[in-house]
Amino acid sequence: MSRDGWMKKKANAGGDNGWAERGGYMAAKVSKLDEQFKLDAPREKQKEGACSSIFTGVSIYVNGYTEPSADELRRLMMLHGGQFHVYYSRSKTTHIIANNLPNSKIQELKGEKVIKPEWITDSVKAGHLLPYLQYQLYAKQKGPLFPGVTLRQTSETAGPSHGPLQPSIHPPQRSALNHEPPSPSFNSIPPYPSHSRPSQGNVQPQSIQQSSAARFINPQSSHTDPRHRSPLHTYVPSNPHPNLLQQQQQRAGQQQPQINSSCSRSRSGCKEAELKINGLLQTSPDMLSLSKTTEMQEDPLPLTNGHTHLVNGALNPEELSPVTDKPSVDRDKSSEEEPQSPAGRSQTKPDPYEFPHSPPKQSEQRLPPPPPTYQEALKATESHALLKQLRPPCQVNSNPEQTSPLRLNGGHHSFSSDSTAKLDPPTEKSSSSSSSSSSSSSKSSAQLLAQTGGLISEYYSHSRLHQISTWRTGFSEYVNELHSKRKAAGATSFPGKERLRKSVAQQSADSRAVCLSVCSGTCASVKSCILHVDMDCFFVSVGIRHQPELKGKPVAVTSNRGEGRVARRAGANPQLELQYYQRRHTHPQPEKADEDLYRTPSQESPESHPNGVDQDASALSMAEIASCSYEARQAGVRNGMFFGKAKQLCPSLQSVPYDFEAYKEVALTMYETLAGYTHDIEALSCDEVLIDGSALLAELGVSPDDLAKAIRADIKEKTKCCASVGMGSNILLARLATRKAKPEGQYFLKSEEVDDFIRDLPVTSLPGVGPVMGRKLAAMGVRSCGDLQQVSLSQLQKKFGPRTGQTLFRFCRGLDDRPVRYEKERKSVSAEMNYNIRFSRVDEAECFLTNLSMEVQKRLQEAGLRGRRVTLKVMVRKVGAPLEPAKYGGHGICDNLARTVMLAQSTDSGQLIAAAVIKLFHTMKLQVQDLRGIGIMVQLLEGNHSVQQDSTGSRTRSIKEMLLNKSLNTRSSNTDAADNGTRQEKSSSTAAPHPPSTPEPVPGTSRDQQASRRTPKHSRARLNLSIEVPSPSQVDRSVLEALPAELREQVEQSWTNRSHRRSPSPQPRSLKTRPTTPPCPPTSAPALYTPPVGTLVLQIPNQPDSPGIVLELPNFSQVDPDVFAALPKELQEELKSAYNRVTNVQPQAKMSVEQKNPLLQLKQSGVGLGRVKRRYKRKNAASPVKRSSPVKRRHAAISPAKTLPSPVKSREPMNIIKTENNPSTSASKPDVPETLSKFIPRPAPALAGACDLTDIKTLLREWVTTITEPMEEDILQVVKYCTDLIDDKDLEKLDLIIKYMKRLMQQSVESVWSMAFDFILDNVQVVVQQAYGSTLKVA
Amino acid sequence: MTTLTRQDLNFGQVVADILCEFLEVAIHLILYVREVYPSGIFQKRKKYSVPVQMSCHPELNQYIQDTLHCVKPLIEKNDAEKVVVVIMDKEHHPVERFVFEISQPTLLSISSDTLLSHVEQLLRAFILKISVCDAVLNSNPPGCSFTVLVHTRDAATRNMEKVQVIKDFPWIVADEQEVHMQEPRLIPLKTMTSDIVKMQLYVEERAHKT
Repeated sequence: MSRDGWMKKKANAGGDNGWAERGGYMAAKVSKLDEQFKLDAPREKQKEGACSSIFTGVSIYVNGYTEPSADELRRLMMLHGGQFHVYYSRSKTTHIIANNLPNSKIQELKGEKVIKPEWITDSVKAGHLLPYLQYQLYAKQKGPLFPGVTLRQTSETAGPSHGPLQPSIHPPQRSALNHEPPSPSFNSIPPYPSHSRPSQGNVQPQSIQQSSAARFINPQSSHTDPRHRSPLHTYVPSNPHPNLLQQQQQRAGQQQPQINSSCSRSRSGCKEAELKINGLLQTSPDMLSLSKTTEMQEDPLPLTNGHTHLVNGALNPEELSPVTDKPSVDRDKSSEEEPQSPAGRSQTKPDPYEFPHSPPKQSEQRLPPPPPTYQEALKATESHALLKQLRPPCQVNSNPEQTSPLRLNGGHHSFSSDSTAKLDPPTEKSSSSSSSSSSSSSKSSAQLLAQTGGLISEYYSHSRLHQISTWRTGFSEYVNELHSKRKAAGATSFPGKERLRKSVAQQSADSRAVCLSVCSGTCASVKSCILHVDMDCFFVSVGIRHQPELKGKPVAVTSNRGEGRVARRAGANPQLELQYYQRRHTHPQPEKADEDLYRTPSQESPESHPNGVDQDASALSMAEIASCSYEARQAGVRNGMFFGKAKQLCPSLQSVPYDFEAYKEVALTMYETLAGYTHDIEALSCDEVLIDGSALLAELGVSPDDLAKAIRADIKEKTKCCASVGMGSNILLARLATRKAKPEGQYFLKSEEVDDFIRDLPVTSLPGVGPVMGRKLAAMGVRSCGDLQQVSLSQLQKKFGPRTGQTLFRFCRGLDDRPVRYEKERKSVSAEMNYNIRFSRVDEAECFLTNLSMEVQKRLQEAGLRGRRVTLKVMVRKVGAPLEPAKYGGHGICDNLARTVMLAQSTDSGQLIAAAVIKLFHTMKLQVQDLRGIGIMVQLLEGNHSVQQDSTGSRTRSIKEMLLNKSLNTRSSNTDAADNGTRQEKSSSTAAPHPPSTPEPVPGTSRDQQASRRTPKHSRARLNLSIEVPSPSQVDRSVLEALPAELREQVEQSWTNRSHRRSPSPQPRSLKTRPTTPPCPPTSAPALYTPPVGTLVLQIPNQPDSPGIVLELPNFSQVDPDVFAALPKELQEELKSAYNRVTNVQPQAKMSVEQKNPLLQLKQSGVGLGRVKRRYKRKNAASPVKRSSPVKRRHAAISPAKTLPSPVKSREPMNIIKTENNPSTSASKPDVPETLSKFIPRPAPALAGACDLTDIKTLLREWVTTITEPMEEDILQVVKYCTDLIDDKDLEKLDLIIKYMKRLMQQSVESVWSMAFDFILDNVQVVVQQAYGSTLKVA
Repeated sequence: MTTLTRQDLNFGQVVADILCEFLEVAIHLILYVREVYPSGIFQKRKKYSVPVQMSCHPELNQYIQDTLHCVKPLIEKNDAEKVVVVIMDKEHHPVERFVFEISQPTLLSISSDTLLSHVEQLLRAFILKISVCDAVLNSNPPGCSFTVLVHTRDAATRNMEKVQVIKDFPWIVADEQEVHMQEPRLIPLKTMTSDIVKMQLYVEERAHKT
């Protein structure tokens, strides 16, 4: 509740001071001024002679009258290496210079460094940068600096750095003053509780810092809006005061160390960073609530919120750009959770990621109903662009109604934690305290979210079209829900169906003959019937459904109203753009149109000014038409046209505003209506539905036409909008029929008519044939589907790829075997933004890319998908296009570029995506200033559900991923790419998931048979010793920190010299460290520990001849002396002793191992049962890639490894075997164990153990010939092998294998195989491209 | 089995000698096979027990020798990552690149007398591959010339400027024009892994040569 108060404050402070407002124009101006400054500086220096770089990194902004004058200060800054900002920028300006300030400005500048000008003059005199502290204009300004410092500190795992309390520096009452809001709830609290428990700040630094960081964000709130305070008040009693008090205390307690560190920090000169973070934090609460609201788009209230947010955030991206990197914040979060009591953990605290989806009902109920300002707010945002240019920016947010929903939402958030606390009366006490911490933690992680994704979330909450597009998913879900409901409830009622049935019965009573004919007709001709229901110009008909006077008139839905003209903005050249777009429309060849950009506008002069409007004063509206009525279409108006243009074409064109509520309502009604007939519905969009009517028709015995008529009448009645229905025997035909049915009609495309019908259709009317493909086809001389029928399948496949070719081939014959799918599979997940993108620096763009990646991550995770192919789409201002597009914040004329990269593994991690995308971005070598739009798309999706979903999300979830992960790591770190490069020796104890008291060996490597074959007397398996250290990003920080220092060091070290280290030997090091290791918390251990236990077990039944386990040391001669030397002393000794001991074989030990195995097996199979089954299945699916034949094994053992005939073995006590065995890589990499078992530093790449070309060929041949459909995992194995070959610089082999596979797979009758080959080849080419800059020539 | 490390002076020299000898043969052969020079200036010789073609144009031979002479110290120090024979068209845009990618095997050893004959076998395979590579390559436009590029590892270039092996025959940084190839296609020819050197040869070919 109190937080809510802060938030409100924030909204005001962020918005109405106007300083935050910075659109494209201001940005341009500021950058111009900066450039002028830079140009002037050397000149000034020359003139003056004396110059220095005292003020490097200092940017000042002079506010008001100063002594010396602003000009003089500017000159001084020029001379001494500083920056002078004419306009204040929260993110860039480091110091504000002022002699005195009025009260209102003081309020505005809370949190900023306001410094007297003497600081500059004195610094110049002194010849070095003086600390600014004593020159601060108002000492109390320091208070609000805390958030910035807090953030930094926590990210450094603040501990000893806190130092002792020094209350003398900052009188406590002052700081308390700062943070005491005039909120009534706080008034009831003793004013300075901080003194009572000053030590608290040091006792729990983490959590307190979090809470304070969250709360300090807007220290001085003033509740201006009583309406929204009232709901808060109702909560005051429910939330026990001690709680509040405690929070207050915590904050107060925290103040001291912060002040401390802020002082020391500022002295050390990190001002800029501080300030940046500070500014960031100040904006974050906006984004926080906003990012929540975006999730609730279905809800009218958040919708309004989202729009409102634009005012605060979207327009000043500069402010948001300096985002702290996520890992550090992440660490904050995890470490912050540490000190909480178990009670606090068990408390169901609102997960910031989860929350928006499932807001607790209670809080929702108590929320005041959404303000009736929806329309107004919408209007306000729509005209916001205009507003912004017309008014000084500071006024934009002055509308209290706009800010109100935001506050509401903030309140909403805190309610939820309150209500959870209330839910649990017995544990009132603990929960009340934990609710404060949990809310603060949720806050902090929400902050995190806000910092990383806020900007983008804002955009999406604002983007109208995006909202509509998201509805489809919503409706799909709705349909799904229907299905699941039906399953659950058994029989459901279909009111529509019943009605139809009755009417049919009625009819049959009337005339039996007709019915008979209908029935027979249906049964005979209609085997399957798909109905395609499409609302007629949906937006328009919804928009005018209550305005009958507009019916039959040309109407368009657009944001612009009135004359279709807007005031002209500086820097924009709408005429040029308009021409460009026109040419784009008229000339289908964009390449040519591109070059025409420079053509003089007078040549074409498309604007005939019939009414003589002065073109200079106003420009044509660039608002796009979302939908227009058929009457308007007759006049030449098209969807997507600019309103200004349309108005010229059709002067009587009426515009109707967007009405999202109504769209939703109507769409929902339509879906409900249709669901009254059948549940076999596929949602295509908000106004487009596919229905599989086959069963329905058979059941009712009516003709499709009757059904369509009934549906249309029903829809018309319920929604007052018209729908057209197309029917056909498949989806394609139904859709095509709809074209003919429109407007307001229905058409049944009978199968006997199909040929004639489709022959004359233009190819572009086929789904999937867009302008580009249309052009390609036109180049082939294909215009109609009839033409297309003449083209052979192979030709099409050659030109468009196997799949598209086949689709085209079938479509043009009216064939379509796609089923109506209730559940739509997503092909790609993307996030794009092309509005208001103006960067000035590269890091801004990078930051934005990171944010956008996080947005993609969010979407991926929401959809439960992970993808491999990442595409970066960029819109770049076309050379010669005006700097400022005609549409405010729009992208103007752009070149569209796209780059794609294939990740080594499917991911939903925003970090990985960001890394890939930023790399792509750099390779594109673009001018950041010219960027106008950025999009990230992820393809090749695969579901998460197949693999174990775990809570952290950062862990690797399967063996396969482990494998792929490694190659990813290898490549991304540009290390020596060999397999082994990433495999690190590391103490295994960190990873052992079982308590050390169960010293059972794990039969981890029993699969590896070489040893047992060579020494059949003692059937034993060799132990794999190398352990993979996951990449830093994948490691749970808290786990790492929980490790003993030496272990931690090892892990960290292994990251740093990943490329050099090899696993030379077994890891006796774990012996040493094991006892000291505290048992890792089971939840977090898997972050470091990867092998799924179940996989190991399976090997035993497969190879019953080797149940035992033996620890094997490599031949001493094979130990890399360098690595050996690098080992710690005690390890060296242990190794040596191990080598000495080899001769003393202890049969008992072996026996015990063998005895224990069955037990173990039981136990372990229990753990990983699911996976065992999976593996079993796959094995039994007879995929020879995984099968290992003795031949291969022998080869693998002999060929490059150069193992000596009698390898030396050693026995270790059982517990050692266990600890070492458990995390061994053989477990994580059971598919290619042979590569690992060789102790040469760099094993040759192997496919299922085979290294030799002939073996691999045999394998491949077996694979291709025996299996009809390749398993994806096998394909990935092959890809992995090929990648390894590339890394191993063995292109020759790669070439041979690729060619061999090409022969094999393309000859295969199964077309899947040739697709598989294409897939493999694509992947290989990407890797080759990365490694060599060129692609393989495959003849 | 004696294991020699990279630091062994002897070892580096041995490798460099063997490789430079091979490279000389290879370059001549490439020039012949790819018809950069008229076949009239080439003579049939025998190397690695297979017939090879060698130019008898003294200046060309001198150029190749000088070049390799300068390459040798780089190979000795394992500084040369790739030695590239670039065939350029009249506009000096590369049409083909024969890339010898040299790296050291992870386990260096000069173990026995079988070494040399073994390496010779491997090198012979290279030579044979080169002599038939015209089967997989498109023919070059007329009027081609060639140049030799060396991709060095790390900071080797800096040292190179200090130590000029041959006076008036300095290394220069390659033009972007000479390095960049449009739509390169990669054709792997041969890979060898021996105890002393790991080398692979591939050709990068411009997609449209004319």
